[in-house]
Amino acid sequence: MRLKRFLFIFSLMIPTLGLVGILSFYPTLKGIILSFQNYTVFTFNRIEFIGFDNYIEVFEDPVFPEIVKNTIFWILFSVLFQFLLGFSLALLMWKPFRGRGIYSGLVFYPWALSGFAIGLVWSWLLNGQFGVVNDLLMKLHIIRNNINFLSDPKKALFSVILVNVWYGIPFFAIMILAALQSIPRSLLESADIDGANSIAKLFKIVIPYIKPTIVNTILLRIIWVMNFPDIIYGMTRGGPADSTNILSVYMINIAYYESNFSKSSAVGVIILSILFIYTTFYLKITSKGEFEI
Amino acid sequence: MREKFYIKIIRLILLSIFLIFSVFPLVWIFLTSIKPADEVYTFPVRYFPREPTLEAYRYLFSFANFGVYFKNSVMVSMTASIVSTYFALLSGYVLARKKFKFKKLLILALFFAQMIPSYLIMIPQYSMFSKLGLIDKLTGITIVYMGIGASFSTIMARGFFLRIPRSLEEAAMIDGCSEVSALFRITVPLMLPGISAVFSFSFVNTWNELFTAVLFLNSDRKMTVPVALYSFISKAGIKWNVLSAGLVVALLPTMLVFAFAQRFIIQGLTQGSVKEV
Repeated sequence: MRLKRFLFIFSLMIPTLGLVGILSFYPTLKGIILSFQNYTVFTFNRIEFIGFDNYIEVFEDPVFPEIVKNTIFWILFSVLFQFLLGFSLALLMWKPFRGRGIYSGLVFYPWALSGFAIGLVWSWLLNGQFGVVNDLLMKLHIIRNNINFLSDPKKALFSVILVNVWYGIPFFAIMILAALQSIPRSLLESADIDGANSIAKLFKIVIPYIKPTIVNTILLRIIWVMNFPDIIYGMTRGGPADSTNILSVYMINIAYYESNFSKSSAVGVIILSILFIYTTFYLKITSKGEFEI
Repeated sequence: MREKFYIKIIRLILLSIFLIFSVFPLVWIFLTSIKPADEVYTFPVRYFPREPTLEAYRYLFSFANFGVYFKNSVMVSMTASIVSTYFALLSGYVLARKKFKFKKLLILALFFAQMIPSYLIMIPQYSMFSKLGLIDKLTGITIVYMGIGASFSTIMARGFFLRIPRSLEEAAMIDGCSEVSALFRITVPLMLPGISAVFSFSFVNTWNELFTAVLFLNSDRKMTVPVALYSFISKAGIKWNVLSAGLVVALLPTMLVFAFAQRFIIQGLTQGSVKEV
């Protein structure tokens, strides 16, 4: 009976565990090993261990400090504005109105789109010569000359963050709207009776009530944005002059253009370590609240 | 009363602004895709094409082979999503209903696995798959894609199972049903919203995946839609109306999936831990 039970559990678990083991955990381990070797397209039949050389090469790369700085900016501003705008959208959509179903379909759909394709779309919208954003800003008399959103290194990072914000609003709005709808009506009604105005209600009742969702979503989103090279890849591939280069883009560029798979894996391990430390920290914080996996 | 009216108007305006911002890029890409080539590069911009044409789509599907890429993408994403959804159903059931040793550890492992982005493990996967001769094969990329969503799909499926009372299965089993047939006859039909959410997530993720596919697929007949778009922008002389048509074709399937499964996707998204890659 015990054996039968074990076999039942085992046989239902093994397809997923096999996939995850072979396609996620084993490659992760293998990637760590690769990062200490010299696996490139040119040396694939004489791979050797070379110690920390790849890591040293990465840390001594003159653009590395800028890439780290860009990554921090990218995360900070993307998540901040995704949250603020997503929160506002959720508040606006909170009270039911006619056509809310269709409306939410139209404002939430970017969630399902390919980040890379969205990057391409926006690179066309923001094009310095023929872009429609420049055209609109000129027609509204906000600017006089075309802005080179993507070819000017001083503006490119701002532009890709803008697009990432656009892309990420639905996720926050969806999560926060769901949390808002779970607030018990009696709580809000009693505040009404006490004569609280909207602002007071927002800060005294709404925000404290949905705080776990907010914290959870922001913490998760930070990981996700850090590991989201897709939009940048569609828009600038890290350029011009590395002004939009973030860690994940840097790693992919090394793999694609230098075909230096070991050095690229070293960057991957660096990202993975950050991710691992962050995730542990994240689980610690959230498991204290009502977070449950 | 007056204040209420005034708030209503502000709310309406703000909601409209959000709507315009989210819809505009897509409308714009669609408009560009039906412009004739000489109307694409004008400044000041011409908003509506004077002579709308399907020229760009014709070019896309005849000269640019987009039909092949589209078929490849459909096959790869459908197969991978169906298989991983099925697997997730089985393991999600066990993780929701059974008590056993190391269960917590397994869930934690799945949680960590879902945080590993595909581009981080694509190189080791490449070296594994090249030994098996699965590079530049649709089979190879399909297998990789099964793994992408496996952990997340399982966690999500488990969440949906936890919402269905187990008493229903138990009643069926008392009536002489085996556990497996109780699962498939009683619980799975109730799980249909959950299943469509899991499937939609897998489909969206695999349909949009770019980086592994670029590394794995290099011959022209094997490309998926994202890889084709990627190679388009590397080619000199690609016209924006054609690229826009390509983008419309690339974005349409996931938009349709979202339109049909929106409610379930949102349920899935808001259900605790989410990677949403």
